[in-house]
Amino acid sequence: MNASSDHAALKCSEVCYRYVPDQPWIIDHFNHAFPPGIILIKGASGCGKSTLLRLLAGYLTPASGQIRTPLGGGPLEREYQRRQLGFVFQQLNLLPLATVMRNLTLAGSLAGLSSSEISERAHKWLGLLGIEAFAGRLPKSLSGGQQQRAAIARSLVKEPLVLLLDEPTSGLDDLNTRVISRALRDYVTGNRICIISSHDARLEPIAHEILDFNRFLPVERHLEALV
Amino acid sequence: MRSSTLIASYLWKDTWKRWFEQPSSPLARLFVTGLLVLVATAILVAFHLMERTLRERLERFGLNTVLVRESITPDSRELINFGDGPDRLAPLNDSGRKLRLRQLFVRGQTEWQNNLLVFTYPPDGIRFLTDYLTEETPMIIFSDSLPEDALVKVNVNRQSLIAQIRRPEGWIRPLVAEDMLLVPQGTVPDEERLGYIDTTVFQRNPDGVSVSNVVSAVNALYAAERRTPPQVQSALALVREWEKLKDKQVQWRNILAGVLGLTLSLVYGSIAILEFRQNLYVSALLRSFGAPPRYLYFRHLIENAILANVAAVAAITALALLHSTIFGTLGASKTVVDLRTANPYLSPEMLVILSWVNIGAFLSSLPVAFGLRQPVGSILS
Repeated sequence: MNASSDHAALKCSEVCYRYVPDQPWIIDHFNHAFPPGIILIKGASGCGKSTLLRLLAGYLTPASGQIRTPLGGGPLEREYQRRQLGFVFQQLNLLPLATVMRNLTLAGSLAGLSSSEISERAHKWLGLLGIEAFAGRLPKSLSGGQQQRAAIARSLVKEPLVLLLDEPTSGLDDLNTRVISRALRDYVTGNRICIISSHDARLEPIAHEILDFNRFLPVERHLEALV
Repeated sequence: MRSSTLIASYLWKDTWKRWFEQPSSPLARLFVTGLLVLVATAILVAFHLMERTLRERLERFGLNTVLVRESITPDSRELINFGDGPDRLAPLNDSGRKLRLRQLFVRGQTEWQNNLLVFTYPPDGIRFLTDYLTEETPMIIFSDSLPEDALVKVNVNRQSLIAQIRRPEGWIRPLVAEDMLLVPQGTVPDEERLGYIDTTVFQRNPDGVSVSNVVSAVNALYAAERRTPPQVQSALALVREWEKLKDKQVQWRNILAGVLGLTLSLVYGSIAILEFRQNLYVSALLRSFGAPPRYLYFRHLIENAILANVAAVAAITALALLHSTIFGTLGASKTVVDLRTANPYLSPEMLVILSWVNIGAFLSSLPVAFGLRQPVGSILS
């Protein structure tokens, strides 16, 4: 990793986190720098992949340690949250009462984009994800795969520096997975970082780095995961 | 479009949909607020009307007037010995105006069959009655309802008299509890010999002794002669009653305000928590988009404030529209319920009610404010 990519990385140092006090740490003294590119985090269920993504997004606060975004600040920094962060949850990513286009417009508008920028980017990403025809429809009238693609379009409309995806292809067929993979490949250019938490092997070909999260698990959790 | 407009529009749509899908939620809030405000307003308006009634009585009676009554029975020593009876209240002559009358133990009847109390006035009383007396007759009927200035035939036992109807004004008014006939002393001598109520109406000079001192002086004069104390009527009792009523009004206003604020904050708060939990995921999703939590908080606050104010204003308006019917049926007089004279629905009390309704709405939104502090990551897990 060269100096410039190190500067553009999303870094974790000595990050610890647990949901409930007195329970074992889910993330225990985690150190890693996520460079630009697509990073796939693999690991058994419950190993803390999704928790790590939420910590990187600033949606959870580490009990100790530090997270540095490529902007140089913490993940709670306004500019990072508003403009440079995109997050795709495992499910329920779209506002149920807004059309797909309105979901994209709202996300773009909150990122401070102009109407013309939003419109241009929305058409681009909806087109790339193959759901432009559904722009005027409510989420409930879309299939699971279409909803997930719309959710990714909603995150991509900001064209953020950091895109975090939590199991984006879980339960989707090969066609949907291929469309999503292609869109993510198109998105990751320059200093953009895309971190995907998934145990879907179909996403491995697009990853620049694969991080096996199981190795951070303590031995007893490994055994639990194996069982 | 600005992001704030988009969020507001989405939240409004979300709220509207929630109301439409669960009408019991807004209706319960409207009903509870409306009912509470209705009761609170009715109680405060009732106090207002009671106060007006008392004030009207006070105005009629006069703040500086004292009425003294003493019964003189046929076997009374002074009726037999002195005829006219000594004027025990003579010392008050220098402190104001004093008119001494006799209320006879008989009743008169007009040619229209109206019953009248019968009073007689002494020769020196004429100077206080000049405004009422005309050349036509020295007899007066004081009445608020009979046609003014009409000359009417009155029978007192078998004696027929002609009297003129006048409206009682000023310091004479406290005498007139009901329609009364006032005739010169000696007009009905047989009836006067049956005994009477020695009635003195006294109006103190504004810069003279106080009413309470006059009352004390009257009691002292009678006590000095070891006589049964007369019946003394003054505005003091009314003023005391008025003050007591005002204290009660303040007490009730505070109680009602507390009950209103507390009940609304509990009812609205419980509903807000339930609805917040139902919408937790959407709220978290919006926050993950970058929507500031204050928007989501204000949504609950504004929603509660709108419902509370709509219900409160509707309840107050409904009561104002039915004011005369409700309070008229409950026995308030026409002049007192007349909203043109004084409108309690536009009084500061209503602002107090509305303030507490809004305080209740605000308090109810506090749990939501705490709920919104929950990290997005722990909700969207």
